[in-house]
Amino acid sequence: MEKRKTAKIEVPLTALRAGETGTVTSTKVDNGRGRIFEKRLLDMGLTPGTRVTVVKSAPFHGPLEILVRGSRLALGRGMAKRILVETGNV
Amino acid sequence: MKTNKLLFALAGNANVGKSVLFNYLTGLHQHIGNWPGKTVERAEGTLHYKGCTIDIVDLPGIYSLSTYSLEELVSRKYIAVNRPDLVINVVDASVLERNLFFTLQLIELEIPMIVALNQMDIAKKKGIQIDVKKLEKLLGIPVMPTVAVKGVGIDRLLEKAIETVKKKPPRKYAHFRYGKEIEERINTLIEMVRNLPFVYPERYLAIKLLEGDEEIEREVRRRDPKIVSAVDRLVEEIRNIHEHTCSAAIVSERYEVAGCIARKAQKLVSPIKTPWAERLHNLTTHKITGYAVLAFLLLAVFYSIFTFGDYTSRLLSDSFRSLEQLLTDLLGTGIWGQLISGGLVQGIVAGVTIALPYILPFYLILYFLEDSGYLSRIAFLMDNAMHKIGLHGKAFIPIMLGFGCNVPACLGCRIMETKREKLIAAFVTTLVPCAATTVIILGLVGQFLGIQWALALYVVNVLIILALGRIAFRFVPGEPTALIMEMHDYRWPHIRTILKQTWFRLVEFIKIAFPLIIVGSLVLKLAEILGWLEPISSVLSPLTVMWLGLPATAGVALIFGVLRKELTLIMLGTLLGTTNFAQVLTPIQMIVFTLVAMFYIPCIATIAALIRELGWRKAIFIAAFEILFAITLGGIAFRLLTLTV
Repeated sequence: MEKRKTAKIEVPLTALRAGETGTVTSTKVDNGRGRIFEKRLLDMGLTPGTRVTVVKSAPFHGPLEILVRGSRLALGRGMAKRILVETGNV
Repeated sequence: MKTNKLLFALAGNANVGKSVLFNYLTGLHQHIGNWPGKTVERAEGTLHYKGCTIDIVDLPGIYSLSTYSLEELVSRKYIAVNRPDLVINVVDASVLERNLFFTLQLIELEIPMIVALNQMDIAKKKGIQIDVKKLEKLLGIPVMPTVAVKGVGIDRLLEKAIETVKKKPPRKYAHFRYGKEIEERINTLIEMVRNLPFVYPERYLAIKLLEGDEEIEREVRRRDPKIVSAVDRLVEEIRNIHEHTCSAAIVSERYEVAGCIARKAQKLVSPIKTPWAERLHNLTTHKITGYAVLAFLLLAVFYSIFTFGDYTSRLLSDSFRSLEQLLTDLLGTGIWGQLISGGLVQGIVAGVTIALPYILPFYLILYFLEDSGYLSRIAFLMDNAMHKIGLHGKAFIPIMLGFGCNVPACLGCRIMETKREKLIAAFVTTLVPCAATTVIILGLVGQFLGIQWALALYVVNVLIILALGRIAFRFVPGEPTALIMEMHDYRWPHIRTILKQTWFRLVEFIKIAFPLIIVGSLVLKLAEILGWLEPISSVLSPLTVMWLGLPATAGVALIFGVLRKELTLIMLGTLLGTTNFAQVLTPIQMIVFTLVAMFYIPCIATIAALIRELGWRKAIFIAAFEILFAITLGGIAFRLLTLTV
């Protein structure tokens, strides 16, 4: 199967503006550490291919409020930076 | 009539109404404790229903059955090892997909179960219509709709539960299928683990091995390391096919199944508007109004807890004082009389005047904030600030409350998810100056040296919290975790559940704390009666006099402070023979004494709270560390101040 990579931009979740939606492509995990982090994100439903909408961000570079699988999550900014999403013409 | 004893377990995500259901089923027949050897809370209760005695265990609210948190591990082991007759999976009908993800994992554990499809009223308001029969068919297990807060559907749920138990369990449990690539490898692994003696079903073992579950991998490695290397190979194959880690692929597919079932069973119509919940959410998370509401509520909480606490505490002490007088008259002033009235009754007074006036309103407010959904909004707003001390947003509430009383603050640290976070939060909390510490700061330094010195000590305290918090963050083992939590829609909390939760936790705390407080009080009284205070002072004098530059009696005063921190000042006054401290202490001595009193050890009730939340070892470690830290700090301060003055 050919993967179409045209016209898709991959950015960290924190780059989305309030109200924008993206599709999760992957999570950046450091070697060794971050396994729990990845597992936790997966368990909360942020699996590859999931649509995520950023509702807003808490003041002073605080966590993001996101909509995932019909529920509202608060996600720490450090975590959100490591989630890559695709936006643009899908 | 034959009596049937049954064991049911309630399992489900957080905030799905599980504890409401638990309280509805068990009424006042419940017991709150910890899981053996763990600091995870365990709620048990009994229900009599149609000739059956049913023990009900309320498992912690979790999102998954992996080993991310202690709660998840405890729940999984409980189900696999204790094999309850039935698991009732409480599901939030208004967030079906996320909840079914957990249901699917329970199904993988191959245990008799039914689903309580709860919060049907909220789902309806959100415009979600669920075809219960269809959902039942798709999941292959009974599904009963309920509205636990109104008691709707609970009788039918119980009927169905008992009917399900009476039926013979199927020889083979139905399970949903993953994609072909994963399913093939699961089957390969099932063949390999078939003969291993495990409490978990073989298919479950195979899936969890592929998911990289640490606990199961360790156990399998111990029995047959060859299997683990086979797992590594299979995991690599899946990674190559899916271009994601194997665990991501499995979890994705499981969520796919959950989403598919949810979409098939539910129909979305236009929601009956619930504007207040949405508007309240926007108001309380807004960058300006959010903080305004938070500040206002915090003040209100403080004000109400401490007005109530202060008033009842004084009322209780007064009535106890007359009792004490009565006892002294009755028993005389012999050694036994003194021990009972001075030691035993003092201990009980200390306990009662802390537990009832402060912990009772605290628990009520904590559960109210948690159940309504506001706690998660506070965490959202304060996450960034809490990162400065190595914690995330959820720790804000316990630490704020620490300024009032460390005891409920430590108990409040149970809202932290991992062991590591709980430990750091509880540790930081014990460093926060509580109301009793404030009495010392203001009563000694504030009164005799001026308010600017008292404020300076507060600044020092905050700096030390920042520093030690960061150090703890660096050195406490385990992986730091960031904030990730659901912010469920605002709802009016179920008051009866909150009252019961408060009551049973209060009882649990009293059981731990009272013996400690009373024994401590008795020991101190005995030392006093036997005239050991003088020798203790002289034994401690190298520390107090030489290192800290304090009068020798300060050592005894500090020892009494373990019981209640404000006692340090009272005892110091008694031992020095005056409360005009300016006559007997130099300004430097006052500052050093206050500094040591601020940090040197959590009071005995706080230690009890630490034991409840962290276990004996960590509680003792924290206490010991803080003694050493305070003495070191005091000695350094003494030298620095002497140099500069």
